[in-house]
Amino acid sequence: MFSRARRRIPVALGTMLWFLVSGFWFSSAFAQQTTVPDADQFVGAPKGTPLAGAQLDQRTQQVAGGIRCPVCQGLSVADSPSEMAVNMKAQVRALLARGYTQQQIETYFERSYGQFVLLRPKFQGVNVLVWILPAAALILGVAIVFSKLRKLSTGNRQPTTDNSSEPDDEYLARVRELLSEAKS
Amino acid sequence: MNRTVLIVGAIITAAIVFVLVAGLGKDPRAIHSPLINKPAPPFALKKAGSDEIVDVSQFRGKPLVINFWATWCGPCWEEHPVLTAGARELEGQVQFVGVVFQDDETKILDFLRQRGYAYPTVIDDRGRTAIAYGVGGVPETFFLDAKGTIVAKHDGPLTADLLRENLRKVMR
Repeated sequence: MFSRARRRIPVALGTMLWFLVSGFWFSSAFAQQTTVPDADQFVGAPKGTPLAGAQLDQRTQQVAGGIRCPVCQGLSVADSPSEMAVNMKAQVRALLARGYTQQQIETYFERSYGQFVLLRPKFQGVNVLVWILPAAALILGVAIVFSKLRKLSTGNRQPTTDNSSEPDDEYLARVRELLSEAKS
Repeated sequence: MNRTVLIVGAIITAAIVFVLVAGLGKDPRAIHSPLINKPAPPFALKKAGSDEIVDVSQFRGKPLVINFWATWCGPCWEEHPVLTAGARELEGQVQFVGVVFQDDETKILDFLRQRGYAYPTVIDDRGRTAIAYGVGGVPETFFLDAKGTIVAKHDGPLTADLLRENLRKVMR
């Protein structure tokens, strides 16, 4: 009886040890999960309302339309069929579904790609010139055209508007004299 | 009027010349990474050919080279021997990690079997890690210092000289 008990103790210990080791192994195996950089690490918690359904589709198209595909020539991630753009658009969709705002999403992409990724440049730094210069050029152009037109119209009006303003012009005086003679 | 036209013309010409001169010598396709001098985005991805998860935070304490590549990318084939040789030569001093995206695991394993490997290669499913690193194409390589800060980034295939030059920045 004692010998059987002595044999049972190592078996029981072995079984317990096996459960302990395998349990530890399983728990560590499940603890190991893939983790990818997430938006909340960089732009914080979502500040908007989680979207779904048709609203999510529409908003995804809008937001993705403002993000440049980094492997394409001037295409947004909404318009490009490249795998990179498809992945980026999927990420935009996932972030909108979690309640991230357009500004947060743009900040997230800008953080890794820079302002290059935004198809609509921000009104700051050197970018201000992009917004100001076309308007300034337009105003300058209109001003030049307007001043030219004014000069031209003034030039055209001069001989007809004021007949009495050239009393010293001998040639005109002679013409008037001849005309009056012809009338009489 | 002629003087005004001359002055305006000179200003416009000077601005154009300035922009052209400033752009000389720069690669127009290169995207400046805003991640330089910032902490590298952390990730833990599945190793190609196994269920093992490679967490890059485990390599903190020594410089880390993160190479984004794919088997369908020709220049990645060119630089693979350079990276493999570098990893073997600097084993214990610098850690190398390959991140493959937009690819097939079987093709990755075939590639590594045929061309050799000296460091772990992980699979970036749906390219989320690549997006967080601002990857615009492959190959792209990031050089991290021992603290996990991105010190340098190289777009395009690495030569032995380029690898050495970038490693010098993180091994100071």
